[in-house]
Amino acid sequence: MTSILKTIWGLLFRLFPCPTKVGLRRIGEPGPDSPVLITCNFDLTVKRLKRVLKGLDVWLLVAESKGVNVWCAAGGEEFNTHSVVSVVKTSGIEDKITHRTLVLPPLGAPGINADEVRSQTGWKVRWGPVYADDIPRYLTDNYKKNEGMKRARYDLSERLDTGLGSMFPIYLTGAMGFLIFGRNLLTEYLVAGALAFIVFMSLCSWIPGRRGITKAFFVDAVLVLIMVILEVSLNPYISELRPFLILALVMIPVYGLELGGLASTMKSDLDPFLARLGIGAVGNVAFAGTVRTELLNGYRELTYNEDLCIGCRSCAEVCPQGVWTMGENKKAVLVNKDACTACRACLVQCKPEAIQALRV
Amino acid sequence: MSARRIPLLSYVFMKILEMKPATYDRHMDRASRGHVFKAKQAVAEEVTPGSYVLDIGCGTGDLARMMIERDCIVDGFDMSPAMIMAAEERIETEHLARKFSARQIGVEGMDGIAAETYDAIVSMLVFSELNDDERCFALQQAQRILRPGGIIIIADEVVPQTGCRRILQSIIRLPLFAITYIIATGVTRPLADLAGDMARAGVTIVKEVRSHGDSFAMIVGRKKGEGEP
Repeated sequence: MTSILKTIWGLLFRLFPCPTKVGLRRIGEPGPDSPVLITCNFDLTVKRLKRVLKGLDVWLLVAESKGVNVWCAAGGEEFNTHSVVSVVKTSGIEDKITHRTLVLPPLGAPGINADEVRSQTGWKVRWGPVYADDIPRYLTDNYKKNEGMKRARYDLSERLDTGLGSMFPIYLTGAMGFLIFGRNLLTEYLVAGALAFIVFMSLCSWIPGRRGITKAFFVDAVLVLIMVILEVSLNPYISELRPFLILALVMIPVYGLELGGLASTMKSDLDPFLARLGIGAVGNVAFAGTVRTELLNGYRELTYNEDLCIGCRSCAEVCPQGVWTMGENKKAVLVNKDACTACRACLVQCKPEAIQALRV
Repeated sequence: MSARRIPLLSYVFMKILEMKPATYDRHMDRASRGHVFKAKQAVAEEVTPGSYVLDIGCGTGDLARMMIERDCIVDGFDMSPAMIMAAEERIETEHLARKFSARQIGVEGMDGIAAETYDAIVSMLVFSELNDDERCFALQQAQRILRPGGIIIIADEVVPQTGCRRILQSIIRLPLFAITYIIATGVTRPLADLAGDMARAGVTIVKEVRSHGDSFAMIVGRKKGEGEP
């Protein structure tokens, strides 16, 4: 029962932590040579990983991330070098296996310094595929990844999944507000809010604009146009449709503002916006003055000094956007700077500091 | 809420107060009505004067300072960079460089300490922040790095032994826990069997003092001396 409730919580309230026990899990019948994977202690992530890995013999290390998913916890530095080193050393895994190779989730790269993990544990670190679904093939192919496995896609199922978990609490808060202060519009809000979510999240890949909020404003502009046409043409249904359309107009920018923060393919809008308003932190999640927020607000710029590059490939391995690739001279090449979402993964992994975020 | 229960507030809110190391000790003492200060004194008094001590989770070095007053030399470590900065500031302002050192590692870094190094190991309000594996690991490492006959003193929030008190603790804790979780994300967990955990790591329990409605305990364990059966 608790497990089901935690799954529902994880699905609908992704913004809030949902921790599961930290430590070692056996998947199948792992032996001394079986692969060792690591993940966060967000309950839903662990359950999904176990489902994907069914049929394989794997050691799974669940590291502390304060019950938050890999991407968000790494961004907030809750899923970090210490979490990984701690679980490797304290879980007892070292007594159960003969090799010393650890597979980390690349979306955890903004929080985990692989070089530090290597030096503190003596383990070799590999960055696995972005999506859990690709792990079985990655393991079968002897830790080989194709380009597709390195990239975040943010396809429809992921958009609906992460969108539901992040936007449902906002939707619910709005519903409670209408229940208390405007019960006559509650039904309209529930329908318009839900439809706006489904339409916006389903179509957002095709909506013009590179940021969530830009996409939202585009959809709002289309909605305003529809409203004007209906009003001018004296459409007989306009009086019934008007409240739905107005509520959708309000909700879409709210979803749009949130979208950037939860998609690993888009720049965050909310944190830099709040930082500009002078709101520096929510709880213990600070964003004002952080490298990420300053990159997003244009106070810093991503720079690369090829002379310092040692050709370790880390940046190309961890960037979910394909911003980096390896050149023929075995040095990193900044190929798609515009796609950078300021996640800091390359900055954290670049040992010689060839990649930096310098103040503009 | 009775005055005896008030110290519980500070333990639950510890993760919030930790967010500001500069005021952490002062606010912990205030929130606990001086109980935390007294508990630190009690821990320090268990340490034999002149000992070489390891302080697990030394924070700002408040407990270390009390032991230094008893002519001890203290090595401390803490996971929080902000706490270590506060400790380093204390070392500088109070001229403790020769008697106190603090470094930023977690308990997992204890495996880098040489065996049989310390006469005493102390820890105050740290084990309730660790997960089960970390707690076991820290105790095993403590046993390894203690000199024969050395002592380990752990003071922390614990689960009361009787059912009624356990229920009362849960009722008091729940809303405070929720507030802490929302503000600081991290929370502490009262220890269910600290003495048992210490015994399983190989130390002999020589003293257990429970206080504040059975919700706080100071446990002293001793590692066997050379030649002892």
